[in-house]
Amino acid sequence: MISPLNPDGDRERFWSSLCAGTTSVGQIRSFDASAYPCRVAAEVSRESLREAGAETEPALSMAGAAFQLALDHAGMRTDGSDPGRAGVIVGTVLGGTVSGERYLRAKTASEDEVVKGLEQYPLRRIAASLARKAGFSGPVLTVSTACASGTDAIGIGYRKIASGCADVIVAGGVDAICEFSFSGFCALKVLTPDAVRPFSRNRRGLALGEGAAFLVLERETTAAQRGATVLGHVAGYASRSDAVHLTAPHREGRGLSAAAVAALRDGGCGPHEIEYVSAHGTGTLYNDWMETKAIKSALGDHARAVPISSVKAALGHAFGAAGAMEAAVCLLAIRDGIVPPTANFEEPDPECDLDFVPNLARRVTVRTALSVSAGFGGQNAALLIRGGA
Amino acid sequence: MKPPVRLSGIGVAHSPGDGRGDRPGSRLSTALSALPQGASPVRLFHPIEKMAFLAGYDALSLAGVALPVGGDGIGIALGVDEGIDGIKARYYQEVLNDGPLGASPMAFPFTTPNTIAARLCILLDLRGESLTVCGGSLSGAQAIGLAMQTLREGRSGGVLAGGATSVEPEFLDALCRLGRPDGGRPRCGACLLLLEPQASAGEADERVELIGYAEGFGGDEIRDAVQACLEDAGLFPAQVRSVRVASMRDSRVLREALRRMGAKAPIVRSPASNLYSASFPAAVAEAATQAANGAPGPVLIVGMDCLAGASAALVRGGGRR
Repeated sequence: MISPLNPDGDRERFWSSLCAGTTSVGQIRSFDASAYPCRVAAEVSRESLREAGAETEPALSMAGAAFQLALDHAGMRTDGSDPGRAGVIVGTVLGGTVSGERYLRAKTASEDEVVKGLEQYPLRRIAASLARKAGFSGPVLTVSTACASGTDAIGIGYRKIASGCADVIVAGGVDAICEFSFSGFCALKVLTPDAVRPFSRNRRGLALGEGAAFLVLERETTAAQRGATVLGHVAGYASRSDAVHLTAPHREGRGLSAAAVAALRDGGCGPHEIEYVSAHGTGTLYNDWMETKAIKSALGDHARAVPISSVKAALGHAFGAAGAMEAAVCLLAIRDGIVPPTANFEEPDPECDLDFVPNLARRVTVRTALSVSAGFGGQNAALLIRGGA
Repeated sequence: MKPPVRLSGIGVAHSPGDGRGDRPGSRLSTALSALPQGASPVRLFHPIEKMAFLAGYDALSLAGVALPVGGDGIGIALGVDEGIDGIKARYYQEVLNDGPLGASPMAFPFTTPNTIAARLCILLDLRGESLTVCGGSLSGAQAIGLAMQTLREGRSGGVLAGGATSVEPEFLDALCRLGRPDGGRPRCGACLLLLEPQASAGEADERVELIGYAEGFGGDEIRDAVQACLEDAGLFPAQVRSVRVASMRDSRVLREALRRMGAKAPIVRSPASNLYSASFPAAVAEAATQAANGAPGPVLIVGMDCLAGASAALVRGGGRR
């Protein structure tokens, strides 16, 4: 995983920083945001991406680094000696939009079209590049379901493995901050001018984030053959549509609740078995209200007993990468028996009246976790994650 | 061999000419007026949205599905790729021209690829799974693959699956100069298929089915996709009666791969091969229409994309195997 907390990919530093309540939201440096009323985001330092070359699309750099870290962590070789059919599924909203921005800027500034770098622009370029680099023979997919992209990518990967379509799938998500998306969210007036405060009464909006995260998914038997350590299991997945509005969530959280219920059913899991919920928790008024209702609807009385946290106060909202990062957070919570806090929690909101693990990490035995994501277009997705034992 | 998937509705909408401005006209008005909520044509902003809606409406209507659908029994799997780039480019050009004040809160939501699927979900009240995939000219193929998997695993009662594309000049000229999209200038269009779980035995004589699907990537992508698709359907290469190419790329590699496998079926290029994200579903629709009219099957459909690899699907008509 590459995130603003660990631009070098150091997984343990990411986890300890997250559990310590460290936030990475600060003044934007990757482009000139001085004309915008909001000027904060959670960025991965561009210096750390320089190794890939100044012209390289940041999303491609981050995806490449996180992909390789995942393969290394899984002990997966990419020299063709690992048996089986391997594929890549990438969730992304923006793909190579930074390259698209550069192209349009150059085109605007000059009569001649400058196509250099534009080959990094197509959304499917990232998945194709990763698969080629690793010598994988498929499936190779790019999923773009707004802020649920990373969750859907892992869910689809889980299904590909379960159905026998592939032996190994490296699934996750990536997105990079750019003026294109920043300007849009600013125009929609959903950006915070200072800090992200999920589920807190004085929350003022979301901050853009960026990064990449990938999980190596394979059957238990394949992992055992390689002698790999199994970190956890994707035990259930579902996607559901709100079908109400292009940018606003269903006020009662109908789609998110339906996705969570379907994921539990898919995994043969009762609500009482859930010991941690990784919330979408963007820090916008409507998302956090909706999500509280959806969790109550899906988990019933158990919703009041389960610890729920949002890592977006620490990481910002990394769009296509967010769901994948949060799935990784669930695995780390299961591994260490610690749930990360909802940082910047200041005032309880009477409408958000669940246990949101305010500000301090908590020691809790977590065997089964639920990670939920929601996005533009009424996208909703839920992953059920179980421990490796 | 996995269970077949029933193809029970087809909707196709495309521009007559070069893709500069589709005019679905009266068909669109009729479709919108049939929706109980009375959606007005002015609420559909973009050609890709209009064509996708029309294709989705036609597919559901042909299958006899009452609209709006309601409930989570039917989902959507849509392939969309460079089709939205014109919207993105126009949005950002305004930001470049006017700074933050150029950023339109109305236009921005249309810059995410899943917008088209979301609009269909809202208009048709589809509350099942909603997935958008971006695989260039294989986008629609990959959406069909996801839908087949969902249905075979019993996760949905139906999936509206296919692709949509709307070609605009902002990026396309430059991408074509780089050799992409494949083989030339695509046109505007959408094709959506209503796929449902295997039909009951009593309906066997009327049904048209998708019996196999697979993808390939890497050096032998076409061969791998075709072989895996045949295995998926439990067929030998010699059993394929005809082959349709659903992309504008050179088909010599496909021809050679089929020859080596021992398949002797004639190969034709689909007339819809320039519909980009919608080309593969449109080729499936052509094969399904012919199968329903008694043409011999099964028909192998093969698509290729310079970045996304290759996909293959098999279609056959029921009762005439």
